[in-house]
Amino acid sequence: METFVQGLAMVFNAQTLLVIVAAAVFGLFVGAIPGLTATMAVALLVPITFYMDATPAIAAIVATSAMAIFAGDIPGTYLNIPGTPASAAYVGESYRLARQGRARETLGTNLLCSVFGGLFGTLVLVFVSPSLAEVALNFSSFEYFWLALLGLSCSIFIAIGSRLKAFLSLTVGLLLSTVGLDMMSGAPRFTFGVPDLMAGVNFIPVMIGMFALNEIMLFYGSRNEARSVPAMAKDSVFRQAPATLRRYWRNMLRGSALGTLIGALPGAGADIAAWIAYALGKSRSQEKEKYGTGHIEGIVDASSANNSGISGAWVPALVFGIPGDTITAIVIGVLYMKGMNPGPTIFMNGGSQVYALFTVFFVANLMMLPLGYLAIRASKIFILTPRKMLMPVIFTFCIVGAFAINNSVTDIWIMLVIGLVAFVLARNDFPMAPAILGLVLGGTLENSFMSSMLKSGGNLFAFFERPISAALGALVILIWLLPTLIKQFRRLRRPASAGEKT
Amino acid sequence: MRDFLLGLAFAIGGGVVIAVAQTYPTMPSLQYGPSLFPSLIGGGMLIGGALLALSQVRVLAARRHAPEDPGLSRYDYRGLALSLVPCALIVFYILAAETLGAGLCMLLSMWLLMLMRGAKWWLALGVALVVSLIVTLLFSRYLLIPLPEGVLLPQSLAWIG
Repeated sequence: METFVQGLAMVFNAQTLLVIVAAAVFGLFVGAIPGLTATMAVALLVPITFYMDATPAIAAIVATSAMAIFAGDIPGTYLNIPGTPASAAYVGESYRLARQGRARETLGTNLLCSVFGGLFGTLVLVFVSPSLAEVALNFSSFEYFWLALLGLSCSIFIAIGSRLKAFLSLTVGLLLSTVGLDMMSGAPRFTFGVPDLMAGVNFIPVMIGMFALNEIMLFYGSRNEARSVPAMAKDSVFRQAPATLRRYWRNMLRGSALGTLIGALPGAGADIAAWIAYALGKSRSQEKEKYGTGHIEGIVDASSANNSGISGAWVPALVFGIPGDTITAIVIGVLYMKGMNPGPTIFMNGGSQVYALFTVFFVANLMMLPLGYLAIRASKIFILTPRKMLMPVIFTFCIVGAFAINNSVTDIWIMLVIGLVAFVLARNDFPMAPAILGLVLGGTLENSFMSSMLKSGGNLFAFFERPISAALGALVILIWLLPTLIKQFRRLRRPASAGEKT
Repeated sequence: MRDFLLGLAFAIGGGVVIAVAQTYPTMPSLQYGPSLFPSLIGGGMLIGGALLALSQVRVLAARRHAPEDPGLSRYDYRGLALSLVPCALIVFYILAAETLGAGLCMLLSMWLLMLMRGAKWWLALGVALVVSLIVTLLFSRYLLIPLPEGVLLPQSLAWIG
């Protein structure tokens, strides 16, 4: 009880609350501007969180990401341009609703679903992660090896688009993770004689390069600046909300549960959660024909799912140190820097810190309600902020942010090189999430493999000797075989069904 | 075509990684040395890149008889060059910040980037000036980041740091 009160006190003080409000406004702004993602908002925020205590730093990240995901709906509704990729799934529905003069009503529903989804994901985080941590306490390097491999495998098989490209993207991240002194032998790898690289590639400049510089380059390479704001209709934000929610509460619950689950899978974040929730909502709907014509039901599922995915991604991040999405990949780095090493022991040693973290989630998600309401009322500001003025400002923050981590010019070079690589890869439809996961999990994968081999004297079968390790190993192998199995299954069914017809 | 080249680049890169990894020391007491993971990753890049390139060879071969792809011949080189401007400005910052100072470099870069997309010159200058002042102030004074102050305008900008 005492630790709980301590945890509350760490959140309910002027500094932390102020940080949450400021971060929420920042997230709102970044999320509402098309082309700027929630991950980018968090990546740009990290250099500033270095100078905060652990709780406000985490609070800033939670508030920014939750708010940015909601705010992505604002330009989606008014301009048919999703503010963040997580809003892309239902942008067609919300834009058509806006054209019918129901923009505010749509955004009000989005807001309520986002808050509900965020709180649902938080409840799962609060109740599931401590018990999961007790199981994880028995894990050794063998289990962590499989978990890391599971995360990396998921990131490839869940990726939208070509799996081969996802795999190649993963190798880029893994290669980056090997830079620096080798853990076992102390031999420098891929350091090219640069002393700053001995400690490895710092992942913040990588993030900034991948998500911010890459977007800036895409912006200057494109020519579309034209934007028009349809006349604002005099519709109300919340007047229709009770009726909508009464009608579609099942969709909210289903979307939130699905979003939390998908968010918790490594490599799949809020955007994939939204796509799958939208598809599932459509397939289970009684009014399928209305989908795509501006149907509020199409928004409920996916809008709940993307925010619950944000919270769900924290479960594996906190319990195993394995990120559920790109945002928690950044968070894990921040947690280490703040001395809150993720892993099952965080729930034993962390005490009040963990309660503070849970409280932050509730506060940040609840704060979304008033701030989101104001944002909907003032949404014209976000839409009219011209990107031609904004992108140069973000450009400046990229340089200073990358430099600020270690006060080193090497980090600016890293950001530049990674930005160029990400630009080339992203323009050719390579997904970025596997690269990030590779960079974050590469070290865990190699270190757990090496220490396992030390323990077992080089016996590879040791990976299947412990029950949980063997089960995880079997799961990984199953995931690898899944595409082939599905193909075989389809091939078997096709002649059978063809046979039935004749 | 671009996928073919990228696949090729990955395959060659993978080969280089494997070659470099072989130079790492092996330790007699360990079965697996520091070269294991880089070699595996290099192998993945080599095989994955080769597969990507080969898959494109088939596509390209099929297309040879078809009319030429207009997207391929009219590649947007201007757009590509414009998207490289921010990168050039980062290099400019790295090279010039020690002399010109971080604030001035940011100001010039932002101004140029804003003008590139057709902002009014005085408005762009004003915004760039205010933002570079705020950023310099925020990072050097409050977050104590040693941003380069430069040697050109030490007196006039001294009050910022």
